[in-house]
Amino acid sequence: MTTDRLMALDLLVSVLTAAAWVSAGVAAAARRTRTTAALFAVALVASLARVWSVLALAGSGWWFVQEKVTVALPLLFAAAAVATALAGPRVLRAARRPGPPSGAVPHGVRTPAVVVPLLGAGYAAAAGLVQTFLVGYPADPGTALLLLAVVAGAVLVTWRASGASVPGLRTATAATAVAAVLGVTLTFVPATEGTAAAAEGAASAGAGAAGAAGSETPSAHGDHPASADHSVSGPSSEGHSVSGASASVAGGPVRPVTALRGPAVPPPGGAVRRFTLTARTATVTLSSGRKVAAWTFDGRVPGPPITAVQGDLVEVRLRNADIASGVTLHWHGYDVPSGEDGVPGLTQEAVPPGGEFVYRFVAAQAGTYWYHTHEVSDLGVRMGLYGTLVVTPEGAAATGVDLTLPVHTFAGTTVTGDHDQPLVRQVAPGTPVRLRLINTDNTPHRFTLAGTPYRLVAVDGTDLTGPGTLGRAGLRLAAGGRYDLAFTMPAGPVVLRTDDRSDAVRLTPGPSGTGEGAAGTRTGDGGTGDGGTGDGTGGGSTTTAPTGDWPELDLTRYGTPAPTPYTLRSRFDRDFTLVLDRGFALAGGKPAYAHTVNGLAFPDIPTEVVREGDLVRLTVVNRGRDTHPWHLHGHRVLVLSRDGRSPTGSPLWLDTFDVRPGEVWEVAFRATNPGLWMNHCHNLSHADLGMMLHLAYEGVTTPFHGAHGG
Amino acid sequence: MRKVYAALAGLLLAAAVVQMYLAAVGAFDKPQDDSSFALHTMNGMMVIPVLSLVATAAAAAARAPGRQIGLTVLPLGLVIVQSLIVAIGGLFDDSTGNTTPLSLAILGLHAVNGMAVIGACELVFRRARRLAWPKPEPRSQDAAEGSAVPAS
Ligand SMILES: [Cu+2]
Repeated sequence: MTTDRLMALDLLVSVLTAAAWVSAGVAAAARRTRTTAALFAVALVASLARVWSVLALAGSGWWFVQEKVTVALPLLFAAAAVATALAGPRVLRAARRPGPPSGAVPHGVRTPAVVVPLLGAGYAAAAGLVQTFLVGYPADPGTALLLLAVVAGAVLVTWRASGASVPGLRTATAATAVAAVLGVTLTFVPATEGTAAAAEGAASAGAGAAGAAGSETPSAHGDHPASADHSVSGPSSEGHSVSGASASVAGGPVRPVTALRGPAVPPPGGAVRRFTLTARTATVTLSSGRKVAAWTFDGRVPGPPITAVQGDLVEVRLRNADIASGVTLHWHGYDVPSGEDGVPGLTQEAVPPGGEFVYRFVAAQAGTYWYHTHEVSDLGVRMGLYGTLVVTPEGAAATGVDLTLPVHTFAGTTVTGDHDQPLVRQVAPGTPVRLRLINTDNTPHRFTLAGTPYRLVAVDGTDLTGPGTLGRAGLRLAAGGRYDLAFTMPAGPVVLRTDDRSDAVRLTPGPSGTGEGAAGTRTGDGGTGDGGTGDGTGGGSTTTAPTGDWPELDLTRYGTPAPTPYTLRSRFDRDFTLVLDRGFALAGGKPAYAHTVNGLAFPDIPTEVVREGDLVRLTVVNRGRDTHPWHLHGHRVLVLSRDGRSPTGSPLWLDTFDVRPGEVWEVAFRATNPGLWMNHCHNLSHADLGMMLHLAYEGVTTPFHGAHGG
Repeated sequence: MRKVYAALAGLLLAAAVVQMYLAAVGAFDKPQDDSSFALHTMNGMMVIPVLSLVATAAAAAARAPGRQIGLTVLPLGLVIVQSLIVAIGGLFDDSTGNTTPLSLAILGLHAVNGMAVIGACELVFRRARRLAWPKPEPRSQDAAEGSAVPAS
């Protein structure tokens, strides 16, 4: 069974356990002897099943069961044992008694000695659920104590309410109160310590003195490469956030991130590609004629396409006309110098209305990328502050049809480019076609291509090796990710469908429009062939049939293997583990039901510090119920394994990988791009709720003190 | 103490009403995502459970009858069910995380159970008031609502 299913099963079993214990107690209070006995039995069986479900889940990794094994199960078992010892014999005796209904028996099961232990076991079982939901990973002594106090308090109240006199009530109440206060203190005091440690954190982090702060585990800085599994630092031991702080280095040079900029002139042979993008609010008209209020670059959504040939220097002047919250440009998936990365408060200040910022970087990587604002990025990107970045290989003659298709959910509808209706193109049969799919949303999209065999030739801008021919396959594209599909135009129509629901692109056979095949790249905002021309649906049955049952392509088994510079067996200089979950935490200083990393939310998540040249392994574990598209700025990562299995197909170099519930991804990268980088969930609403942190190179500082990272 | 208990029960009812309001705020927020419901989530997972627990403790301290104490913790139990409805409904989303007819059928219960939370809070408050002021004083507010109290 998959981890995802095991997590669901464990959840259901724990709900059943809590419900059975509580109902048994309620039944006893209502003098239903036989019902009490039956529910008691169900509760015992469910509790044992809970042990089994936790053990089964433990096979997927300690991260998935840590709080259950250390707190929830012991608590449940102590309570269940007490209930069995106290209530068990009484319930059995009452149930065995023949004759009149138990209600007539003076005591029967409605005695505090039965009702209170049964309900108490119910509270203990429910506490485990509450812990999983509210606290998540990892369980710590503070929250455990607090939980224990709540259960004890509930038992005391129940006992008192059952009408019995409670021996030592005052002492017990006092003890519970002390436990509660201690729990609260332990839970919240480290947070303040973390703030205090922020200043010194910089120094200790820089020196690589990771374990110095006395965390119980080898620490997230991972100076011990062998400690793969539990290298999670204590909640605050070296908890410094980079906003404002920095990673200084012992004896090394110190550079501000603002010095890490692109060159002023292109490399020999390259041209300068100049663009000016002006961010402003505007009303845009979608292809159907529908008008939508948007935040735009140059009044368009998507913004103007930025194109270059490999080796060119791209120079983009960003101006802000009237986006009040400010705007930046982040080059998603493009390994630009850190000072060009466009992260407000970290690599630059957000560009205010009236301001401007010039980005310069060499177009070193060919492929499909995109750009978007990183200031209030969740809202900003969804409102339209994004566009495409496509770099074509040097010397490659552009032939055929090349469509760049950013897919976005805009004002509630899915648009491809600026088309809220299918984009229709005539293409001459025999023409090579390349479709560049970009998911600019917060959630994954599923694409299908009907009417022709095709190949998935590139993922996140990087070509795959030996991509095989695909037919009836569902392509799941992570938020922020890109797929390049290639095929030769057949004699019949070809349809690209999004989420098995809406047709995004319809290519119909026919003479291509003038110059159609000549241009290298263009966005999907075609001024030609909108619907009218040749909607020839010959063989339409193959392209209109439902695609929902097409199996999802497993990227880790697609293509052919090729040598990689490092593998699972490499020796890693740094080892970081990120356990993703939900729980209460301070997100941006405000209490929230946050999306957490190792139990913390930005900016409290310790910065990952690396040294230039390090080989770094990231293990990302999702023990929550949401999908998290993980995105590291400035580096492409090589997938080492997913759920313990290495890819058997083409090597996968990704900048955004979808970590689904229950999944564990191991990825690696070489630290060759010095700077200060965001490492975050690209479901930007999750990032807003805390799921982001910084990765800092030793010796790089920032002069910016923005509270914001995205 | 019974007056304190009644006041807490009133707060609990107010928090439950605010919760409905915040649900509507989230539903009408555009563009909509997790953060649209941030306040709804905070109020529902933090404020209402804590108020429910504190009110229950107050009921115990006020020597309310056992039934009443049990009733006071009911909103907390129902709120746990609210979270479970969301979690279990989510299990039936499709592979891209979009809802399916089945997951929606489950998630819709969130509203029904939400009404149960309001109902429970209202019942708690009404009975808490009766405990605190056994004979309604001739104040207009009590007179207006007094007639609505059924002898349950
Ligand atoms: Cu996420």
